[in-house]
Amino acid sequence: MSWAAHDLEPYAIQRHFGVKVAFVPLVIGSYSPDILSKWFVYGINVLGAEIRADDPVQFHRGWPGVGFTHSLGYGMLIAGLIWLIFGSRIWAWSFLLGHWAHALTDAGDTIGTMLFFPFTTETFGLGAWAYAGQYGRLVDAGAYFSGLGFVWDGVFLVYGLLSWRMFKREYFHEVIVKADPRFWGWMGRWLPETALLALYRASFFYGATRWIAWIIWAHVVHDFPLDLSWGGPGWIDAAYD
Amino acid sequence: MKELALYLVAAALYIALGVAYPSLLLSWFEGTAFLLLVVWIVPSLIRRLQR
Repeated sequence: MSWAAHDLEPYAIQRHFGVKVAFVPLVIGSYSPDILSKWFVYGINVLGAEIRADDPVQFHRGWPGVGFTHSLGYGMLIAGLIWLIFGSRIWAWSFLLGHWAHALTDAGDTIGTMLFFPFTTETFGLGAWAYAGQYGRLVDAGAYFSGLGFVWDGVFLVYGLLSWRMFKREYFHEVIVKADPRFWGWMGRWLPETALLALYRASFFYGATRWIAWIIWAHVVHDFPLDLSWGGPGWIDAAYD
Repeated sequence: MKELALYLVAAALYIALGVAYPSLLLSWFEGTAFLLLVVWIVPSLIRRLQR
């Protein structure tokens, strides 16, 4: 489980590949493994009734469950469908990169991801930070922003800040629009350049600000103990495969 | 510089609101809508009113 990495990593990938990737499918790919399932992992309250997976860990990362969305094969399948339906190789390839970044990043926690599903349902994980989704959003946030997970997010935040030129108007036109002129041209029929630039920068804005806000929330407003040990924080009973 | 200042204002406001109301930090759509509001919609409205 990662929090801001999925917002920030697409910028590092885009910076590396330049005009060879389209930014929008890259971001969609980066969000895609959790896009329909995360709410059911944490649970929601509807008219006083709690709707939540009986076993959030199994549901999120396992099989039976939707753990297959974090497999490399699932990314290839959806990328293949994008290629077939939209006929765009760059959209398919960019989606795949974003998806794989998500699946591999989430393999950093104590549960890991079923990278090679359907060939095996075994999860592969580094165990660097605790998986605590089973405790709900807020405790998960407190644990994540107290262990190595938020440090991994921070790597991409710093990378983005050091690559600040990629957020300039010139870069947007010369690289982002050039790589995907059809999408941005279509958007440009409805929105002015200021809005298009904001949309391009939005995931970085969202990732960076929530990263800072959650750290303040966890360590200033609340008192979640910081523990940067491998697999930490040790104060949470992390889920293991 | 004015553009950067708007983004910094948006970031400071979103962080402050997010710390006070963490549920605001959970939706990409809300975060993006907030950014569009601060850096595009509000300045556009102000420019129109000043004409």
